[in-house]
Amino acid sequence: MKVGIPRGLLYYKYKPFFTTFFEELGAEIIESPDTNKEILDLGVKLCTDEACLPIKVFHGHVEKIKDKCDLILVPRIMQVEKREFICPKFCGIPEMIENNIKDLPQITKAPIYSYSADKFLNWAYETGKLFTKSYIKIQRAFDYAIKEQNMFKEGIDDEGFQYKVALIGHTYNIYDKFINMNLVKKLNNFGIGVITHEVVDDNVKHMEVKKLFKRPFWTFAREYYGFASYAVRNQLIDGIIYLSSFACGIDSVIVELLKLEFEDIPFLLLKIDEHTGEAGFDTRVEAFVDMLTRRKGGNLA
Amino acid sequence: MKVTFPHMGNVYIGAKFLMDGLGIDYVIPPFNSKRALEIGSLYSPEEICLPFKIMMGNYIESIERGADTIILTGSCGPCRFGEYAELQMKILKKLGKNLDFVVLDLPSDIGFDELKRRINKISSQSPKPKKEKYMALVNAYRIIGLIDALEAKAHDRAGYELNKGECKGLLNECKKKLLETNDPKEAISILKEYHKKMDEVKISREKKPVRVAIIGEIYTIIEPFSNLYIEDKLMEMGVSIKRTLSPSWWVYNTVILSPFGLTAKKIRDAAKEYLPLGVGGHGQECVGEAVLSSEEGFDGAIQIFPLGCMPEIVSKSILPSISRDKNFPILSLVVDEMTGEAGYQTRIEAFIDLLERRRRYVLSRN
Repeated sequence: MKVGIPRGLLYYKYKPFFTTFFEELGAEIIESPDTNKEILDLGVKLCTDEACLPIKVFHGHVEKIKDKCDLILVPRIMQVEKREFICPKFCGIPEMIENNIKDLPQITKAPIYSYSADKFLNWAYETGKLFTKSYIKIQRAFDYAIKEQNMFKEGIDDEGFQYKVALIGHTYNIYDKFINMNLVKKLNNFGIGVITHEVVDDNVKHMEVKKLFKRPFWTFAREYYGFASYAVRNQLIDGIIYLSSFACGIDSVIVELLKLEFEDIPFLLLKIDEHTGEAGFDTRVEAFVDMLTRRKGGNLA
Repeated sequence: MKVTFPHMGNVYIGAKFLMDGLGIDYVIPPFNSKRALEIGSLYSPEEICLPFKIMMGNYIESIERGADTIILTGSCGPCRFGEYAELQMKILKKLGKNLDFVVLDLPSDIGFDELKRRINKISSQSPKPKKEKYMALVNAYRIIGLIDALEAKAHDRAGYELNKGECKGLLNECKKKLLETNDPKEAISILKEYHKKMDEVKISREKKPVRVAIIGEIYTIIEPFSNLYIEDKLMEMGVSIKRTLSPSWWVYNTVILSPFGLTAKKIRDAAKEYLPLGVGGHGQECVGEAVLSSEEGFDGAIQIFPLGCMPEIVSKSILPSISRDKNFPILSLVVDEMTGEAGYQTRIEAFIDLLERRRRYVLSRN
């Protein structure tokens, strides 16, 4: 069986798990290519207008590989942590794909609750059933996949640069070099190192969000806020760059929380959507870098 | 302590009589207006959804009138509404307003003790004995139920009435009268009187008006200002309307039924075929209602949601399939602070025209 894995949404985070799992079950994996103009255009054409860029890009990836495989992975990730959610759109992504794209092969629709192995196994059984009847085989593939995922080192923590900024944003915005126009490299060329939230331990983030009135119910919100708060308090960074996609509901809340909380730290909000022009994007990054330099030089600080 | 609360359709009527019954001082925010929206948008994050902005406007206008405590219901995800309280608190604090927020979250999220503590913050201000406090709550629940029912009746009958505008007139008259009294008992008798009057409105069942279901995001369909008074517009066009979601529906389903997992069971069951799992907000309800209203013989449905609403974007992707499968026209309207009335009106009129013509020609079902 040929399994298609679209390079969109949380692919960048859970790639080891999904590829290992399907490979262990004897599937041939077909990955969509890195995001490019064609995929973006396909996605914009197919998807509901109001959706955010990453959802549109995901549509494009599915469309691109749908004719080449028998099963497409459309992960409906509901919760990765108890009492926390990912994003409402993730809960309904298989339905969005199904209704927006015609002539689809089979897609995986089972929900993923990955906060406990028991719950997560339900997804593995539900999906593994398509490959084999043996529960033991599925269990083994699942165990391998989890092991593989745990070994996966995520996050960026650049050393040896003059300045360091916290780059905050969803995995699928930060690691997709096409839609963020290679932001990390751009920053490095300016002599700016980048640190992302994965570097900081989860427990620290849990502690940091305690000072909020309400426990954040989005995993993203807890991670980003906790990370920013930790990094600012320990003076790990010179500034924050928030990479957000237009119309992201979660970002609209987190950005405001960060802005209200950390007034004294340089903050740049970069918004990307299907129309973002690279020149304007570069100018904003450059201006931010200039500001960092002058601040450190003491001119404006 | 002077309590206030954001507007959402008829909520102010229920809240007013609850506070009257408790004997607590309160401010009803001025009715939503352009000013409220402008102030609200000024102090809100740019990309947040419309309800947040209007609510901010309500708070600030109430604060101008002396309010110092805000009551707000909460939720714990996955829709943005749950984070409203956190952000609004911080923004108002930054604006230098000295305020108390009482956020009523479900006990499953904050625990019973915390909820009790928060409710106590309000109820301890009431000079009334315990029994009367309880009665105030019961009366308020009855009042909100009665006004919602009256509104639903008016919306339904508007299509059949012989004297155009009678239902709408009665409804507005009743709301006006309710604001003049401070006695919950009197309010109930007013409401009963108007229910009777509404029943006596001359109607003709032969009229066969266009029947439309209003579905979508709960705030934007309940709060008339946010949807540019779509229900009044439709009533004027002689359309019979049904809207299931209302403040009393919300209270009944979220507060009373949720511990048993029965929230909106019928609607959610209807949605199962298209959207088996909840996506937060009322996304699943929107899909379920579209299915139900097509089965109930409505001519069409209108979905309304604020720009960027995450759950409704999911349901919007699904609605075209329902429309195709059931041969059931659905119009999606997105509202935000920039929505222009003329274009909006044109789209509604065109949709109603389409529904009327479908009936007359071969395209129709019957």
